[in-house]
Amino acid sequence: MTELLTPFAYDYMLKAMWVSALVGGMCAFLSAYLMLKGWSLMGDALAHSVVPGVAGAYLLGLPYSAGAFVAGLLAALGMAFVRSQSRLREDAVIGLVFTSFFAAGLLLASLNPVSVNVQSIVLGNILGIADEDAIQVVIISVVTLSILLLKWKDLMLVFFDEGHARSVGINAGALKILFFTLLSAAVVAALQTVGACLVIAMVVTPGATAYLLTDRFPRLLALAVAIGVVTSFTGAYLSYFLDGATGGVIVTLQTLVFLAAFLFAPKYGLLAARRRAAETGIATAPDGGQYRP
Amino acid sequence: MSTLFDVIAVPLSYGFMQRALIVAVMVGAVCSVLSCYLILKGWSLMGDAISHAVLPGIVVAFVLGLPLAVGAFAAGLGCAVATGYLKENSRIKEDTVMGIVFSGMFGFGLVLFTKVETDQHLNHILFGNMLGVTARDLVETGIIAGGALLIVLLKRRDFLLYCFDPQHARAIGLPVRALHYGLLVLLSLAIVAALKAVGIILVVAMLIAPGAIAYLLSDSFDRMLVIAAAAAITSCVVGTILSFHIDGATGPCIVLIQMGMFVLAFLFAPRGGLLRRRPA
Repeated sequence: MTELLTPFAYDYMLKAMWVSALVGGMCAFLSAYLMLKGWSLMGDALAHSVVPGVAGAYLLGLPYSAGAFVAGLLAALGMAFVRSQSRLREDAVIGLVFTSFFAAGLLLASLNPVSVNVQSIVLGNILGIADEDAIQVVIISVVTLSILLLKWKDLMLVFFDEGHARSVGINAGALKILFFTLLSAAVVAALQTVGACLVIAMVVTPGATAYLLTDRFPRLLALAVAIGVVTSFTGAYLSYFLDGATGGVIVTLQTLVFLAAFLFAPKYGLLAARRRAAETGIATAPDGGQYRP
Repeated sequence: MSTLFDVIAVPLSYGFMQRALIVAVMVGAVCSVLSCYLILKGWSLMGDAISHAVLPGIVVAFVLGLPLAVGAFAAGLGCAVATGYLKENSRIKEDTVMGIVFSGMFGFGLVLFTKVETDQHLNHILFGNMLGVTARDLVETGIIAGGALLIVLLKRRDFLLYCFDPQHARAIGLPVRALHYGLLVLLSLAIVAALKAVGIILVVAMLIAPGAIAYLLSDSFDRMLVIAAAAAITSCVVGTILSFHIDGATGPCIVLIQMGMFVLAFLFAPRGGLLRRRPA
């Protein structure tokens, strides 16, 4: 029993667990919006794109979040520009830009292996996070969460029905920019917990899980945040016993919760659909529409 | 003139550089040809998903004593199939499902990796280890890449029709399902082949950039294939040699050279290039 409590006896573990939970909650909040719009891979692209900024910031001794923001912004602008000026599809443009940024980051790190630790950027290192980095993460998360709590209704209107949102006097363009700024902030914070490669799970999986469990958006938000907080906290806790891979543990937990929801969700789960099909004799599509029998 | 010669000859006097160059060219060739199809099909990010998902396969293969390539291939294909299955059976959008599946597999792979003692270096799997390629790796990569390349080129018309217009392909009696899964299998093979050289993260770039470059430069698909392969092979050679001189990582150098070529094509393409457009 005492062995299970040992992680709580270490300051670095306590810090890791609380910071992870905070970041997990913030990312989950955003994930509810992201997956509705089909922008899930934006999170992944942003996470990879900020890597050269982080590497450069460590190199120059600047706060890592400043570098990350600059790189993320450049990548977003680059994507928008190439998209508008060429006939390439959006997914190709996103892939092209983020891999190039990521490669630039890796090259920068390989030229300066001492001052930049690639592995902690790419895979996260919350157990060994430096205090000044932790402070940046907490500030980013608190600010982002407060803005989200203030603006969640407006954002919801814009994401569900932009025309309607405009007609009631909401500035949809500004809110979208706000959303992407918050997303970049979340990505920058999540980088420290789970690393560039796994940020996508944090900003996608909790929202998708909640989407299988409820039809009402406020409840979806609450569920997603709860899933994000609990999995991140538990993941950080468990990683004590695994000697690391905090990001991996958190994401594995989130995926398991998603799979459980996929199978057992009362309305949209696989088993529920099967049961309905058996009762009615008509195969029902997961979204409630009907396939041809 | 002799200095230019030296720039190329000095790196090639080392065995490891020769092997690196050969591997880079093979990987570049197979990835570039596939990238043309992925661009047309809109599957650019499928490469991203599959490449991340191979990680647990590698660890499991190590535990079971199988060749790592087999595990990686199975995991990559598993990711593609699982994505399709979850998409069919839930109300979640495809891109979201893809993100969930590949990040989940990658995360699980990381956990496995820390728990299992392997002789593999995580950094080498993630970022490739082009300069450490052995003769055996060379043969393995050659077989995988060569096989994949051969299949694509033999079936290139069928794949092309499938990518452009699946309905039409079905109507004229092509085995659409087989082509769909065939393309996924080839994609997984290319990623497995690229694993040693550029690692699972940067292979995504090799699966997008050449096709994108060629797409900007040509309207005919056959020409597109040739341009993509030429661009990829050139950037592999230049990138590998450059990395030797600046003492940087090889994979990123190749990717950045490709990006440079894309920027050139984007600016100067004969038709549609940014600087070639006539004022309207």
